[in-house]
Amino acid sequence: MSIATAHTHAVALPASRSGTLTGFWASVRFIVRRNWIRLIVWAVVLAAMIPVVYNSQQEAFPTQAARDAYAQVANTPAVAAMTGLPYAAGSLGGILVIKIWMTLAIALAFASIFLVTRNGRADEEAGRTEMLRSSALGRHAFSLANYAVVGGLSVVAGALISLLCLAEKLPTAGSLVMGASIAGAGLAFVGVSAICGQLSATSRGANTLGVAILAVFYFIRAAADLQAKGAQVSAISWFSPIGWAQNMRPFGQDTWWPLLALLALAIAGCAVALRIETHRDMGMGILPERRGSARASEFLTHPVGLVLRLQRAPLISWMLGAVVAGLFFGGVAQAMTTALEPSSAFAKAFAGDSSNMLDGILGIFVLFTALLAGAFAVQCVTGARTEEAEGRLESQLAGALSRSRWLWAHVLVAAVGSALMLLLGGYLTGVASNGAATGSQLAGAAFAYWPAVLLMLGVPLFLQGFLPRLSTSLAWAIYGISVVIAMFGGLFSLSESVISATPFGAVPRLMTENFTVLPLLVLSVIAVALAVLGFWRFSNRDITPA
Amino acid sequence: MSTNVAAIEVLGLRKQFGQTTALDGLDLVVEQGIVAGFLGPNGSGKSTTIRILLGLLRSGGGTARLLGGDPWRDAVDLHRRIAYVPGDVSLWPNLTGGQAIDILSRLRGGVDTAKRDALLARFDLDPTKKARSYSKGNRQKVALVAGLASDAELLILDEPTSGLDPLMEEVFTECIREVKAQGRSVLLSSHIFAEVEKLCDTVTIIRDGKTVEAGRLEELRHLHRTMVSVVLDRDASVLAAVTGVNDLVTDGNKATFTVGEAELGGVLAAIAAYSPHSLISSPPSLEDLFLRHYGGVGKFAETTVGQKAGAR
Repeated sequence: MSIATAHTHAVALPASRSGTLTGFWASVRFIVRRNWIRLIVWAVVLAAMIPVVYNSQQEAFPTQAARDAYAQVANTPAVAAMTGLPYAAGSLGGILVIKIWMTLAIALAFASIFLVTRNGRADEEAGRTEMLRSSALGRHAFSLANYAVVGGLSVVAGALISLLCLAEKLPTAGSLVMGASIAGAGLAFVGVSAICGQLSATSRGANTLGVAILAVFYFIRAAADLQAKGAQVSAISWFSPIGWAQNMRPFGQDTWWPLLALLALAIAGCAVALRIETHRDMGMGILPERRGSARASEFLTHPVGLVLRLQRAPLISWMLGAVVAGLFFGGVAQAMTTALEPSSAFAKAFAGDSSNMLDGILGIFVLFTALLAGAFAVQCVTGARTEEAEGRLESQLAGALSRSRWLWAHVLVAAVGSALMLLLGGYLTGVASNGAATGSQLAGAAFAYWPAVLLMLGVPLFLQGFLPRLSTSLAWAIYGISVVIAMFGGLFSLSESVISATPFGAVPRLMTENFTVLPLLVLSVIAVALAVLGFWRFSNRDITPA
Repeated sequence: MSTNVAAIEVLGLRKQFGQTTALDGLDLVVEQGIVAGFLGPNGSGKSTTIRILLGLLRSGGGTARLLGGDPWRDAVDLHRRIAYVPGDVSLWPNLTGGQAIDILSRLRGGVDTAKRDALLARFDLDPTKKARSYSKGNRQKVALVAGLASDAELLILDEPTSGLDPLMEEVFTECIREVKAQGRSVLLSSHIFAEVEKLCDTVTIIRDGKTVEAGRLEELRHLHRTMVSVVLDRDASVLAAVTGVNDLVTDGNKATFTVGEAELGGVLAAIAAYSPHSLISSPPSLEDLFLRHYGGVGKFAETTVGQKAGAR
C-alpha cells in the first residue's frame, strides 16, 4: 500500500533536473506515515521533561537565597563531567540547564541515530529499499527524505522545548536558545548518522558506529568541562559538536552563532552521505563486514563461559553504570547536602528522617547502586528464558548438559556479577565522597543489599520453572514495583512497615539505621527457597519454546 | 555396545498438550545400524516424538527407550552417544557459525577438528561469518556439520535438509551413506520422499500421533499394488472385465490401473490377448504409500498416473 503511494506520486511529480530527487515528497509522506508514532513520542517525551524538571527544581530551590547557595557549590568535577559546566546556577533557568540540557541533547542525538538507521540502512538490509528503488524513485529521494524527516523531529522538539520554557515564564532569549541548542545537537547527529548508514552494511553496525561517535564527542566535551577555569570554556570544547551546542549557553550568554556550525555539520554530513550513495552498490557498505573467529575457545564452550559471552554487553554496561554512578554520587554528595533544605518535603522524602543529612543522602546513593545490580541480576536470569524461547536451549540440552547445570551457569554469572557491582559501586561512592565516608564503609553498606539482589534472582528463577512464558515480563514487573517503593515510597506516604516489607526496603541503610542481620537472613532464605523450587520445577517440566 | 538392544524403541507413546493430543499410542523401532525414515504430515507428532527421545519433553504414557536407556532419566549420559540436528536451527546471532559448531560439539564431548574442517569444505560453509548474516540453509549447515562431525552411535535428524539446495542435499546423502557404512544408526524425519527412498532401510509412517505403517521399504511395497500403464490395439475399456484390475482410468487405447501382487500373472496373461503396443509397470513409490494413508485412493490415482508414465 505504501509502496503504491510512493510509486504513483513518483510518476505524478515532474522529474527534477538530475532526476535523483524524483519522488522526494512521496518518500517524506511514506516515512512520516511509517514513523509518526515514534516521532511524536520522542518529541513529546523530551519536551515534557522541561515542566517536570522545572517544577521539581523550583521546589528544591524555592528561594533566591537557596539558589545562590547552590551556585556556590554547583561547580563540582562530577557535575561538570556529567552534565556540563554550570555557568548560571544562581537562576532557575541555569539550574534547568544543569539538570536536563545534557540529557535532552544526548537523547535527541540518540533519536536521530536510531531513526536515520531505521529508515535507511535497516530498510536497505531487509531488501525494502531495493523494491522502492525499482519504481520511479530518484536515487537520493528516499535517503534525503529520511534525513529531512528525522531532522524535522529535532526542529519540532526544539520548538516545543522553547515554547514550554516560555510557558514557565523563563526569559525569552534563553528559552529560544535552549530549544535551538538542543535541536542543533539533534541535527548535527542526523548528519553523522547519515554517513554511518552509508559506511556500514548492517543496521546494527550503523547504530554502533553512530553511538560510538556520540560517546567520543560526549567524552571530549566532558574532558573540556573538567579543564575549564571557573565558568570560562576550555578550547577542547570546540572539538565536539555537543560542545558547540553547549556553548550557546541558554540562560547565560545566549550565543547564537554556534548553531551555524551545527547546521553546517548537519548539511555537510548529509551531502557526503548522498555522495557515497552515488558511488556504492545497492546493499553494500564501505566498511567491510566484520568477521569473527572460526573456532570457539575452550572458555566459550564451557556453559559458564558461554553465558558470560552472551551477557557480556549487559555485564559491561551495568558495571560501567555502577562505576559512573558511584563516582558521580560520591562527588556530589557533599554539595547536595549543603544545597538541599533539610526541612523541605523533597529532602525528607529522599533522605528519610535521619538527623544526619549527609548519611541519608549516601544511603540513597548506595540503594541506587543496589538497584543497578538488581537490574543486572534480572536481565541475566531472564536471559536464560530467552535462550529457551528462541529455541537455542534444545540444541544445548541435546548435548551432554543437564538442565540444572545449564541454569546454574546463569545464576552464577548473575550472583557474582551483581556482588562485584555492589562492592565496586559502593567503594567508588565512598572514595569519591571527599571523606564523607570511606570506600570500604560504603562497599560494606552496598554489599548488605546482596540478599535483596539475590531475591531479584530467585524470583525469575522461580518463574522460569513455573511460568516460563510469562517469566520475563513478570520478573521485570516485580523488580519495577520493588524499585518504585524503595525509591519513592516515602514520597507516596507509604508507611515504613510497608516499605520494609519489600526487597530493597527491607535492607537496613547502614548509614542511617541500626544495623540488624535478621532482614538479610529472611531475604536470603526466601531467595534460596524460590531458586530451589524454580530449579526443581525446571528440571521436571517440558522445554517450551515461545 | 550391545548389539541386541534397539537404538530406538518406542511403544504406545502418548503425549498431551493441554486439550490437544499430540501422540496417541505411537510405535517406532529403529534397530542398530539401520537408517530409519520417519514420515508424517505437519503436526502429526514427529518432532514431539523426537523431543521426548531427547528428554526435552516428558512422555505422557507408553514406553520410550533410547540405546537401552531412559531418555528422560539418563538424558545426559545418553546424549554423549547421540547427535541431534533440528529442522529449524536457531543460533546465537552474535557468534560465528564456527563458534556455534564448536560449542555444540563440545557439549557432546569433543571436536574432531579434521572431520569438522572436512565437513565445512564439503558443505561449503564459511565459519567466520556471524550467525546473524546466515541464510536458513547456512544455519542448517551449521547444525549438520556439528552433528555429522561427531562419532555418535545414533543420529537423530529432524527434517535436516530443509533449506538446502539440491547440491548440498547430495552431499548430505553421501554423508548419511558413510554413517551407515560405519554401522551407526540414523533416525531421519523427512518430508522428501526421494530422500527417504534413497537412504532408508525402514520406514515408519505416522498420522495424528499414531503409527499407520511401518516396516522395511521392500516389504511395504509388496503389500501394495503395482501401477501399470498400457497401450492396447483396441479400446482399453475391455480391461474393466479383467479380474484383478483396480483404479482403471482409460483414454482411448491407453489405460492405467493398479494390480495386486497375487493377481499380476493373471492380468498380464489377459493383456497379452489384446496385443499391447507398450506396457510400463512401476512398483508403488513411498509417495504412493504415503498418499494412500493421507489423501485416499482417488487422489492417489490422479496424482500418480501422469507422473509414473513420464518417469519410467
